[in-house]
Order: sequence, then structure tokens, then C-alpha cells
Amino acid sequence: MPNPTKLTVSHAPFLHDGSEISNKQYNIIAATLLAVIAGLLQYGIPALGVLTLSVGSAMAWELLMNLLTRRPVSIGDGNAALIGLLFAMLLPAVVPWWLVVTGTFVAVVIGKQIYGGIGGNPFNPVVVAYAILMISWPMFLDFNAALVDYQFDFTAGFPLVLYKAYGTAGLESFSPGGLLLGQQAGGIGATFGLGLIIGGIYLILRGFIRWEIAVSFLAGIFITALCFNLYNPEVYAGPVFHILTGYALIGAFFLAPEDSSSPVHFTPMLIYGLLGGFLTVLIRNLGAHVDGVIYAILIINLVHPIIDKIRPKAMRRVMHHA
Amino acid sequence: MMKRPFFGIATPKLKYDVIEDVQPEPVSVQPKQRVTLFIEKAYDRADKTLIKKGDAVARGQRLQLFDEDPAAYALSPVSGVISEISPFIGMMEKQMTAVVIDTESDREDDRDTAFKKVSGTPSIEDAARFLGRLPGKPDFTQFTDADRTVKTIAVLGADRDLQAITGQYIIKSGISSVKTGIDILRKITGVQNIVLVVAQHQVQVAGTAAAGVRSVDAHYPSAHPEMIIRHLLAEQAEQGQIAFLTAEAVAGIGAAYNTGELPLEKLITVVKKDGTRQLVTAPVGTHAADILGAVNEQVENGDRLIMGGPMTGDAVYSLEHPVEPDTDAIMVQDKEAIVEGTDTPCTNCGECVRICPANIPVNELVRLLDAGEYEQAAEQAALFSCIECGLCAYVCESRIPIFQFIRLAKHAVKRMRAAEEANA
Repeated sequence: MPNPTKLTVSHAPFLHDGSEISNKQYNIIAATLLAVIAGLLQYGIPALGVLTLSVGSAMAWELLMNLLTRRPVSIGDGNAALIGLLFAMLLPAVVPWWLVVTGTFVAVVIGKQIYGGIGGNPFNPVVVAYAILMISWPMFLDFNAALVDYQFDFTAGFPLVLYKAYGTAGLESFSPGGLLLGQQAGGIGATFGLGLIIGGIYLILRGFIRWEIAVSFLAGIFITALCFNLYNPEVYAGPVFHILTGYALIGAFFLAPEDSSSPVHFTPMLIYGLLGGFLTVLIRNLGAHVDGVIYAILIINLVHPIIDKIRPKAMRRVMHHA
Repeated sequence: MMKRPFFGIATPKLKYDVIEDVQPEPVSVQPKQRVTLFIEKAYDRADKTLIKKGDAVARGQRLQLFDEDPAAYALSPVSGVISEISPFIGMMEKQMTAVVIDTESDREDDRDTAFKKVSGTPSIEDAARFLGRLPGKPDFTQFTDADRTVKTIAVLGADRDLQAITGQYIIKSGISSVKTGIDILRKITGVQNIVLVVAQHQVQVAGTAAAGVRSVDAHYPSAHPEMIIRHLLAEQAEQGQIAFLTAEAVAGIGAAYNTGELPLEKLITVVKKDGTRQLVTAPVGTHAADILGAVNEQVENGDRLIMGGPMTGDAVYSLEHPVEPDTDAIMVQDKEAIVEGTDTPCTNCGECVRICPANIPVNELVRLLDAGEYEQAAEQAALFSCIECGLCAYVCESRIPIFQFIRLAKHAVKRMRAAEEANA
């Protein structure tokens, strides 16, 4: 044949369900918006500054690493932007600029890129960055100090600090409804519980996060806190307080279910989430730290490859020949 | 149907297509000028073969390549002259021989009678010798293999891949010939337990075939033989006790013994670019170009031509690719509809793990395969449990060609093991 038709040849399957990494990342970004907007309304321009710097610098680090490692430019997939956004959501509204840039450096470069980029990170990059910053510069991440210039129409003290210092006696001014609506000091995007829950449910329904992890994480917090509470209600706060304060909700819906650092099989997902919730309350109630979510997630990230070995047996082939 | 549902919390399900109540008669297509037949045997141009370039062949004639290997043959669907014999490499380095036959219209009535002579006394040896390349490609080695004792024959009347309705049409319009075939099968194999496996909506029709009827549900890949064994025939599922034949092959066996003539017209579902379907009958060996020409489907540069269904078929690089005895569908995909694979790494989202019908830890498997650790993949990540349905690659968010990785790895491991055995 003089001029044969040139066909596209590739391996089956020839259909695809259309899912892609960027779509998922952008949807997660969209799901954070309610909480982020509530945070911006609460904290104003400084919070906006932190947010934009964090997103921008995270993407810049990603681009820089792409160029340095001569790999395809991947800032378009939205993952770096999401890392920057989630990182900013954990921060107080007033932090020095270099802290933000250092944080996104740790998240994107040390937390993700040195493992080969998306999919390679053993820990959630955001959590790694926040943990390192928390150890390095704890004074800048102390909400009571950082937010000292703000006037709130609710108790200005960070609930978990009050809880640590005074036990349940320090919590009388907080009501579950108020906490749910964000009437508490905390990270820019971590205080508006209702927004985080709506965002989380959206992600679960769309299948962008695994419900097993989010639900079991919250269940872990609830059960453990309830046990402590029943044991000694004078000293230990109830489960609702634990779920609605600190990073519990953002952790359950946005940090713990990060794809690369969490298990994929059913039972392991439940164990992973329950363990995370359990450790969170354990650290809060008995540990030295104010909030346990960050360390709890680091620990469950660490054990995820081992617990993910608990899985159904693969089907035994019965056909005579392959 | 093809896209991820908006609410993605539940695992997406791909449904088999259901044949319409009123299905127009298949269009009959005849090859223009030539047909190409594949014989599953390696060939070197220096080899001495039983058939030679320039040989005249009659319709239905058995074309055996080498004297010592009676299993390597093809059936000529036309009368004509062999114009070329050449080596052909198929998927995964499969060594084959392509035999091109130029048709001669003046010898149309020239028929081979070798089968007719033996068709009076049906036997498994004759069936293996003459009927193994009938449309539907019945595999008689399942019965002649000394290591196996087949106790159940499953006749597959449902379509294995999506979008095809070939099997359903055979059940719908040819159930009586399937019944004839089943009777003959009982006689020649001695296996009395024969079950007909059909889609749910065809259970009633299938009930007339004098065989046990089992139905598969509408979700891919429930009509895959491995899934059928697991879900429908689990009680008989000892190693090698179940043999599979397609309904088309069984109908063909029946027709062959009834008339003494070999039926060589393959029923094919042609899926056009716009997704519409057209049933076609064409002799085995007819080139895709002839069939697509007959149904007015234009193929342009960059389009994809698929022999077989969308999940498990093979994309071919030439419009001259022939219909094989087991080609149930021919699909043309517009270049705009092609989703390219990528080299993005796995993000561990777990979609593949949740959709895998064989419970393979695909996320772990794909990491091992990516690193070239094929032996380890076979030992730790259940590489050989894969039933090759293609669902993992269908849902992959990173668009990794996982199915291709798996096929390649299986091929590599088998080759390594064969080499080890040869050297041992």
C-alpha cells in the first residue's frame, strides 16, 4: 500500500474513567474554601498574606525542584498549591514571612520532592513541615502569643492550652455550637469546624478521600476521649470538645487521608484512622504537647506500610493455563 | 457509562451492553482480493513447509505448516492461491506465521472434502484436527491434554468484553444450533455435565438448549471464565476440571457435523467511532479494511483500530489486520477519544485495589513492576493472580498503563522460568 493509514497503537484498556490527579487536587482545594474564607473573615489581611505566600512559595519550591532534578514541571497538578494551602491553614494568622517560606520548603522539598515527587512521600508533607517548625520555633506557633493583638468576641485563649493548664475547668466558656462555628482561636483554616465538615463530606461523597480513614480517625478521637471522660470527667474533657478543637477536623478530613502516606485496604484504613484518633487524645490528655494531631498523624504515616499488609488474599487462579 | 461518576464514593461499575430486542440481520462481508490467516507456530523462511507459495487451496482446506506438528494449522475460508507465507510477531512476542491467500472468484465452489469424509462418525481427534480454528476458536486441547480430566464444559454465551454483543446474538438467534453442538459435544467428549453461561436477560432463551443454565450479572468482568468458575461453578472448580468453549464455537461444531461443511463465517460486532454497533459476518481472515469499508467507517491517521473489545482487545497497526477465529469485536476509536497513558508515578489512591476482582494489592504490584522486580512481584504481590480484565488501568488516576506492565511482567517471568528449566 503506497500510503497506509497511520494508526495509534497502545495497550488495552482503551477506555479510561477520566479521573486525573489535578482534578482531585483542585477539588480538595475547593473543599477547603469554606474554612479558609471563614478564617480570612476572622483574621483579615494578615491571614491572606500568610495564605498567598504559603501557596505561592510552595509552588515556587516545586518548580525549582522540577528544574533542578530535570523532571517534568508538575506545578500544574495542583499538589504543591494544595500543600501550601493546607500548611497555611494550620498556621496562626500572624507569623513571620520567613517561617512560611521555610515551612513550605520543608513540606515540598524535604517532605515530598526528595522522595521523587507526588506519590513517593512516606509522610504527609504538610505534617512533616509543621512538626519540624513546631520543634524549631515553638514561640511563633503559639496561638496565644501570635494572636495577642486580635480582639475577639469569644474567649481568646487557645482552647487546648486552657485545657492543658486548667483541665475541664478552663473550658466553661466554650460551647460545642460556638466551637463548630469557629468561635475559638487557632489556625487560619482550622477553626471553622462546620466548614471543614462540609468540605470533608463533599470529598467523601465525590470519592476524593477515603471515608474509612476520616470516619475512623474521628471515631478514634471520640472513643478514646469518651473513655478518659468517663474515667474522670473533672480532669478529662468530653469527646465533642476534642473533635471540635485544635487540628482534629482538618486532620481527619485533609491531613490523615493524604493518598501517598495512608493505607488503601479496608481494615488497615480503619486501624490507621482509629490509631490516629487514639494517639491524638493520648497526647492531648497525657502527653507534653498541646495538640496531638500532628504527631499522631506522623506516627500513623510511619506504620501505614506495615498495617497495609493486612489484606484479603489474592484470588487463586483455577484455570489450567494462563 | 465510561466516566467516573460524580459521586465517587462507591466503586464504579462497568456494565456489559445488552443486545437490542430487535436486532437487524448481520451484514455479510466478503474479502476483497485476499485473506490473511495466522498459524500459531514460529516460522523461518528457510523452513521446509507442507504448504508453499503458489499452492492452490480450496475452501475449508486444512493448512498445516509442518509435518510433525498437526496442531499448528489454519482453515482456508476461501478458494484461492497462497501468495505469501511470512513470520508474524503478535502480542508479547508471540511467534506466528501469516499465510496470505489471494482469492479466485472463478473457483468459488471449490470445496475441500476431507472433513466431510470423517464427519459421519464424530470423534474428538477429528474435531481437534479439523474444527480447532472454527469461528469462536474451540480449544480441544482441553480434552486431549492427558493431565486434565474435564468434568464440566461451560459454554460461554455471554460476551467477555464490553460493547460486544456477538455472544448474545448467537444465543438469541442460534440457540438451536448451540443445542445441536452441545449434543455433539456430549458424544465426542463423553462429558455429560454441560452448562450454558448467559447474560441474565437471556436465561429463558438459553433454557431450551438441553443444558444447565447459569447467568452472569451485568457488571464487568463477571463473564470472565475465572469469575464464572469462582462465582458460578465453585463446587466443581478443581484444577482443570472445567473446560470453556464459546457458544459460537459450539454452534459451529454442531453445524459442521450436521452438514459436513465447515462454517467459516465469523460473527463480529463492529463498534464505530460514534459508539454505534453493527453486526457483521465475514470469513475468518478477512482484513479489517474490508469490513470497515462495508459498514462505511472511515479510519484516519491517528485513530485507533482495536481487534477485540475495549478492555482487553489489541490495538493493531495496520488496516490489513485480519479477523481471527476469536475476534468477537472490531472497534474504531477516534483520535480525539484516546486517553494517553502517562509516566506519572502511582499516588497510592487505591482505586485499583478497590476495583480489582482478584484482590491483588495493585498499588504494591505496580511499584515492584516499575522497579523491574518481576520475580518479587510474582511472589509477594500476586502477579499471577491477575485475570487480565484491565480495570486497574481503567480507573488509574495517574493513568499508568498498569495492564501493560502486568502483561509484560508475566511474559518476562515466564520466559525467565522457561530459561531456568531449560538450563537445569
